[in-house]
Amino acid sequence: MRQALKKGGGTISLILSVIMLLGSWWLLALALKSPAVPPPLGAVKIFLASLRGDLVIHLGISLYRVLISLILAAALGVPLGIFLGKNPRIDAKISPMLYLTYPVPKVVFMPIFLILLGIGDISKIVLITLIIFYQILVTTRDAAKNLEKGYISSVQSLGAGSRDLYIHVFLPGCLPSILTSLRLGLGTAMAVLFLAETYATQKGIGFFIMDSLSRMNYEEMFAGIIAMGLMGFFLYVILDKMEKVLCGWVHL
Amino acid sequence: MQDYFLSIKSLKVAYEQRGELVTALDSVDLSLSQGQRGVIIGPSGCGKSTLITVLAGLNSHYTGQVLIGGKPPASGGETALILQDFGLLPWKTVWDNVILGLKLRKKTAAEIKTTAETVLEKLGLSSLAKRHPTQLSGGQRQRVAIARALVLAPKLLLMDEPFSSLDALTREELQDFLLELWEETKLTTLLITHNIEEAVLLGQKIFIMSSSPGQIQQEVENRLAGATHLRGELQFLEMCSTLRSFLRGRVHDEASA
Repeated sequence: MRQALKKGGGTISLILSVIMLLGSWWLLALALKSPAVPPPLGAVKIFLASLRGDLVIHLGISLYRVLISLILAAALGVPLGIFLGKNPRIDAKISPMLYLTYPVPKVVFMPIFLILLGIGDISKIVLITLIIFYQILVTTRDAAKNLEKGYISSVQSLGAGSRDLYIHVFLPGCLPSILTSLRLGLGTAMAVLFLAETYATQKGIGFFIMDSLSRMNYEEMFAGIIAMGLMGFFLYVILDKMEKVLCGWVHL
Repeated sequence: MQDYFLSIKSLKVAYEQRGELVTALDSVDLSLSQGQRGVIIGPSGCGKSTLITVLAGLNSHYTGQVLIGGKPPASGGETALILQDFGLLPWKTVWDNVILGLKLRKKTAAEIKTTAETVLEKLGLSSLAKRHPTQLSGGQRQRVAIARALVLAPKLLLMDEPFSSLDALTREELQDFLLELWEETKLTTLLITHNIEEAVLLGQKIFIMSSSPGQIQQEVENRLAGATHLRGELQFLEMCSTLRSFLRGRVHDEASA
């Protein structure tokens, strides 16, 4: 019963948020009276119409790029983060390197990636992966470092080896933090995706938006922005569901 | 010479901390016969927990001789460890916490099921098997930690301040429960506490430790162990005050030294 109410409440606040968002957009469009900010109705119409056209293809390609990047970044960042958190001596040697390279804006390497890896998906995926990788690595490492020592020694005393500790203690114990870093990383990934897709590509939602801009088709441009927003929202919902399923114990 | 199940001779543990050599334990001698219950009492920072980690096989950087049933300590062996905050994994259910040790020892599914069911039943935890540790009271959590240790059929039980985070009544209830359990299993146990009454109630042998470096100051044979009906009686209080004076004496000696 309470669960159902909560669920209903979630849907209502979602509808309210959409109405609020569209309302303020409409007011802004009225106030600005600029062709660059068309009223929402036209943009939504074009969005729905484009869904039958190539917008879906662009969306699919962008989704693929972001998803693969998130998965790759987690696959690299999580084990390494746990390893460093578990071995403070090695961490002490590695972390200066980490902190020297972390603040460097990785987007500046985009031209290099384009030259080295070509203009296809790989250069974009590598760029996004590299950027989120750091966030996941640092968050996971700190979570592993701060894990209650009692969990480790008690499971060790049961006879757990290093691998058992990864599976039964470190991974599940760090999972809430890992999912938080994925949620933060998703926002970053979307921003980098847009940037990456505005260079040397004919595909992706970023291209769709910039292409509409260059044709001064602002309604279509906003249709692209709506599509990008929905894609991000969809991915957040997935991460939220994952958190509920995998980390249910946190909310007990 | 008596044959001891647990025998520690001139144990010394020293480690480096920020470039300084810290001696946590020095010339510790301690022995328990099969089925005996020893209690270590002493001020915080006297190396009690270091001693436990050595016995649990989690710390092999020591000198001296430590033998448990004739063998040096090893983790995952015949020693079970119960910590102050229970060390239960919050992401696993009671059931999964209890069977973890059996799973790590690669027991068959059928074996795991029967063993865990029997122990949970015995500790009155069967109905809580699907809950998570955060959904339990402190006393229930402590029972789960005991269950997790018992499923492994250990030969030596190590307890590091197992009841210090519980309220007085739950603490008494669990002390009684442990005494019953010991009566039944005759499990050799070494328990650490900073509570004098608890030491008198549970320890057949009481070891009083002093700090920096951790050493055993005094060894007291305690005939009152297990006499729950004497809680609060004169004899009991006298024993407590004897222990207290030993602990005080140590403080006094250190102050005058």
